[in-house]
Amino acid sequence: MKFTLKYKNTTEEKELPNTEYTIKDLLDELELSAQTMVSKQNGELVIEDSIINDGDEIQLVQIIYGG
Amino acid sequence: MDCTKCGNPQVIAKREYSGQYLCKDCFIESIEKKVIKTVKKEKLLDKGDKVLVALSGGKDSVTVLEILNSFRKKNIIDLCAVTVDEGIDNYRQDGVDIAINHAKRLGIEHKVVCLKEEYGITLDEIMQKPNHKGSCSYCGVFRRTIINKAAREFGATKIATGHNLDDEVQAIMMNYLEGNIDNLTKLGAKSQSKAKEFTVKIKPLREIPEREIGLYVVAKDLDVHFASCPYAQQSFRGEVSEIVNQLSVDHPTIKYSTLRGYDKIKNILKDNIKKQYPEGRCVKCGEPSANELCKACTFLEELKD
Repeated sequence: MKFTLKYKNTTEEKELPNTEYTIKDLLDELELSAQTMVSKQNGELVIEDSIINDGDEIQLVQIIYGG
Repeated sequence: MDCTKCGNPQVIAKREYSGQYLCKDCFIESIEKKVIKTVKKEKLLDKGDKVLVALSGGKDSVTVLEILNSFRKKNIIDLCAVTVDEGIDNYRQDGVDIAINHAKRLGIEHKVVCLKEEYGITLDEIMQKPNHKGSCSYCGVFRRTIINKAAREFGATKIATGHNLDDEVQAIMMNYLEGNIDNLTKLGAKSQSKAKEFTVKIKPLREIPEREIGLYVVAKDLDVHFASCPYAQQSFRGEVSEIVNQLSVDHPTIKYSTLRGYDKIKNILKDNIKKQYPEGRCVKCGEPSANELCKACTFLEELKD
């Protein structure tokens, strides 16, 4: 089971670790703060509790930058 | 979880501080209503005001422009905007272009003021000087002076800035932790100086968390400049921000309680601390100043060396 991750200018295929894997789990894995990001699942804005399914496209948009 | 307000299963926001889940339409509506509520509660606008938006092209200023435009559409106020181009290569131009496009889209008066044209030097050039005092010092002082001047040129009666809940809470905590009680009294939704050259400043987004402003612009498909200033540095504000955000994880209402607590003590502080307003004028540029030279002219003199 795989999903596509779009973040900054890169797109990559990632393995889905389990069936309960959420966007929050993905953010934690990437060491990104949910405070500074918003997430889209298959083009639609979602909350971080949303579970990632096989074949999904997840886009992470950084909305807060330091400084 | 479905939207707390309308039951739509497509939720885009989970508000830990209120327990609400919101769909896109209800989220957008709640942000706009909250800003309008702040405007009314704090009496930020008067009918007939001409409001100058300090428009960088970032998420906060574009949101201020977008929401204040609803007052303009009802003929309550007039709007204009100014964008300061500090002269930062590979960074500022994108924001300037976005600001120009929003002003055109809404059909409002807009001007771009370059540091180079105004003061003969860009921020990039200042940062090449061996004796510089750090980018943010210059940027803050020059930008403030340019925005004040633009307000007078436009005949604006208010200046609206994009300060959000996080900015305000950081400022409250920073001033408190540094013991800077004089500056602490100057915060708030509306600030004015006795100097007639300084236009009243308002913060319509003061009660909106920064992350929700980011979500609002993405939800509304508003074009904004999402990027980090190349001169952003590790600052005390950054450290305070990190601590407050960390505390918010287990105490999600802490930003609002800090703001509400401050609002309760502000007037008591103000009554007890008599501020010294600058009554003099800068001998070089004529701007209000407590000293012979204002801060902007002092910097320019130092940079000549």
